[in-house]
Amino acid sequence: MNIISLIISILLALITGMFFLGISRKIMARIQWRYGPPITQPLIDVIRSFSQMGISHGKLFDFGIILSFTGSIVLILFLPIGNLCALTSGGLLAVLYLMLLTPFGIALSAAASANPVSSIGISRQFLLSFAYELPLLLILLAVMTHYHTISLVEIVNIQANSGWAFGSWALVLSGIAYVLILPAILGVRPFEVAGAVQEISSGPIAEFSGKHLAFVTLQHALHTFAALALFVDVFLGGWTLFGLLNPISGTIWGVLLGIIIFLIKMLIVLVLGIFVNAVFPRFRIEQAMKYLWKWPTLISFIGLIIVMLVN
Amino acid sequence: MSLELLLIIAFSGAFLTYLSGKISSKLRDILAVVISITLFVLISCLYGLKIEKTFYTGFAGLSLILRINTLSWLFALVISFIGALSIIFSLTYIRQKEKTDFYYCMLLLVNSAMLGIVLAGDLATFFIFWEIMSWSTFLMICYKRGPALAAGMKYIVMSIIGSMAMLVGVLSIYSAFGTLTISELPVAFASATPAYSLFIMILFFIGFGVKNAIIPFHTWLPYAHAEAPSPFSAILSGVLIKIGTYGFILFIYVIIGAKIFLNLGHGLFSFRSLLSILAAITIIVPTFIAIMQNDAKKLLAWSTIGQAGYIFLGIVFGTSLSVTSGMFHFFNHALFKALLFLVVGAIEYRTNGIRDLNSLGGLIKKMPITFIAAFIGISGLIGIPLTNGFVSKWLIYKTLILEGSPLLAFAALFGTWGTILYSYKFLHNIFLGQLPENMKDVKKAPLNMQIPFLILSFGIILFGVLPGIPLKVINSIVSSFGFAPLNISIWGITSETGILNMVNIFTAVVVVGVIIWIIFKVGRKSQRVDQYDNYAAGAAIPKEKYSYTVDFYKPLYRMISPYCKDILDVFYKKIAEAIGSICDSVRKVYTGYVGSYVMYIVLFLASLIFVQLIWSIF
Repeated sequence: MNIISLIISILLALITGMFFLGISRKIMARIQWRYGPPITQPLIDVIRSFSQMGISHGKLFDFGIILSFTGSIVLILFLPIGNLCALTSGGLLAVLYLMLLTPFGIALSAAASANPVSSIGISRQFLLSFAYELPLLLILLAVMTHYHTISLVEIVNIQANSGWAFGSWALVLSGIAYVLILPAILGVRPFEVAGAVQEISSGPIAEFSGKHLAFVTLQHALHTFAALALFVDVFLGGWTLFGLLNPISGTIWGVLLGIIIFLIKMLIVLVLGIFVNAVFPRFRIEQAMKYLWKWPTLISFIGLIIVMLVN
Repeated sequence: MSLELLLIIAFSGAFLTYLSGKISSKLRDILAVVISITLFVLISCLYGLKIEKTFYTGFAGLSLILRINTLSWLFALVISFIGALSIIFSLTYIRQKEKTDFYYCMLLLVNSAMLGIVLAGDLATFFIFWEIMSWSTFLMICYKRGPALAAGMKYIVMSIIGSMAMLVGVLSIYSAFGTLTISELPVAFASATPAYSLFIMILFFIGFGVKNAIIPFHTWLPYAHAEAPSPFSAILSGVLIKIGTYGFILFIYVIIGAKIFLNLGHGLFSFRSLLSILAAITIIVPTFIAIMQNDAKKLLAWSTIGQAGYIFLGIVFGTSLSVTSGMFHFFNHALFKALLFLVVGAIEYRTNGIRDLNSLGGLIKKMPITFIAAFIGISGLIGIPLTNGFVSKWLIYKTLILEGSPLLAFAALFGTWGTILYSYKFLHNIFLGQLPENMKDVKKAPLNMQIPFLILSFGIILFGVLPGIPLKVINSIVSSFGFAPLNISIWGITSETGILNMVNIFTAVVVVGVIIWIIFKVGRKSQRVDQYDNYAAGAAIPKEKYSYTVDFYKPLYRMISPYCKDILDVFYKKIAEAIGSICDSVRKVYTGYVGSYVMYIVLFLASLIFVQLIWSIF
């Protein structure tokens, strides 16, 4: 059972992540009055680049990619997808740590070349994550303190009983701050500083081709999935839907419906993110950092203080 | 195995090494290695023993006592372990330099003094060994002369201030209770007033704070670490500053006792929460300063202060999880920070003393094993899962969150994210990117440097996957302080509020990694290209320096550099200057002319006569 849920959650994350990449390109195209590529286009691209011959800059170049992709997959195992959660040991803190393994791996890999564009991209990626971690940590600490647990599964279960975290008045400010930094975590405009296509040729991934590019695309899909899943789990109650599923919870239908509800929630958040991506221009890195350390940090700090006072 | 014999071997070994160096340098090298390894073996055999023994009774009416228990065993083990590795590393590092005999002698002497401190059974012995450690460390820091002299001076001045505070504390304890024996003091302090306990703790904490580099006593550390020879920096950062940690543990939990310590003051203004806030500041500020450093050793030195903050936070927060995590982090930090300093030492050795991060680069091709060691050390420092740093940091975060101190938890977590920034910069600027023209014929690190790399790297991974091995020892120490014992298994920790199973995570990572590796291999083989065969959008690639390493986080520097000055260092310098100028003006009294001295005498006599005439005192 455990092995099956493990494989299901990995496959689900990969498929959904690729689907998300496809759908975001489609929606972007429709907003810009184009027809856009088919939704399966990213998947076709991955298969194509996997069968093409690329270049490699040596062992570290390969190792970094494998490390980062492994990190992404293990991260997925720690996130509750609907009712499925393969690994629980370590809880939200382990999730936070694994989220940093991915940029670290990509950074090692990209730095094996001498391309300055990659290095600039890496530097910006680290700075951006440093900048959004400040409010993100405050937000997650508010949630963990309020629910008095560090386990993600328990956070979801508590929300099943007492309503979404976003709806509870103690955590609403933290939720708003999370919404403000979500584009930065997803790496979409206005925070597309690390992978800026026109400016630094997609930054860290400028040197990747062939199977390396295929893995990086899959890793990007998983990252999008993980970022959305974390938000849905922590603030939108995971698989819960106003207690509608409570009568059938525990049955196989409950699990299936839970996953579907979970994915729909993720899709809604993603579409909102795409709207933001479509209408905003790109920040410079220092503008992005100043923004992230100003309003989201202030709001999440007040949110944390409220939670501390309530407890 | 008596403890006196151990210390006699340690101290006489140091001087024998010096003398044998006069006969032959081979003999000296062998003797130094043999002595340091013997000490390590002897100490590891002492596990589980509880000895307390008076070895001398005639010291100013006091009896001097040596003792060992699990707490001092753990510290002694780490001291002798890092000491032995650093001696092995020094064999080639120091060979071409001058005053080699002196170097080995001092290295062994510092180690012996540290062993003496942790094995001391009364405060007089503790203080004597403490002073031996202080001045021998001073001599080691100054070993390279030049700027090292100023760094050493800074160290010794702060160190003396610390030990004077300690001396006052020791005298006060003796006059209050009439005993200095550590095993008798807990009973004595149980009846003392809280105000007196606080007074004693503050006096001793100045001494320990200077050694442990807790803000505001940290200013000596960056200079001393950067200027000392690298193998000694490993000792300095790995174990010597942890002697301060030992002192904190000894005073808070052994002598004064957790009950008195945790009940000093109320709420936000309790002694414990003030110290916790100090620890949080010690984590955050040095991390930001470390990001801005361009000197590899200074970067590691500031990082040491930050990590010492984690250890201090764990110890003063005072729950059983937090004390466990503080001690475990001490153990882990000794492993990975010693490894990183040795890595810098190897690079210094092979590149003729370059440690400027802006002029290094691309060394992975020349020194692959050193790179792997640096990568594992950095992973431990960040606390990437499967390294030992993850477990100790996880424990501290968890207890801070569950005990309702999210702001302290925030400081600890955010410090880690800063650690990622400077760690990656360290790795990237030394090993990745472009190899400078003048380093084309750098050789790989010699074998005696690779041995410590391998041992330490292995330890970091081993205690990351099976953290239960050291945690069991630490748990028995922590439960002897009166805390509830934790439920430790070999693979991690079980408690009602969350399980940490490292073997579980390890299996997941290995299985997933292997599957991905196989898929990766199945894909079409890539063409191996030169490092400079890069995508440049059709533009020509310049032949000179091409990759981007200088000012790696420039946008961040611009934002934080106005705020990230070491204000305390400037403040202390101002004080030192003021004292200097006062002394200068006092010195003007000594003009050097006999005439003026005669005038002083006459004036003095005249004033005496004047006093006698008016008030007739004499």
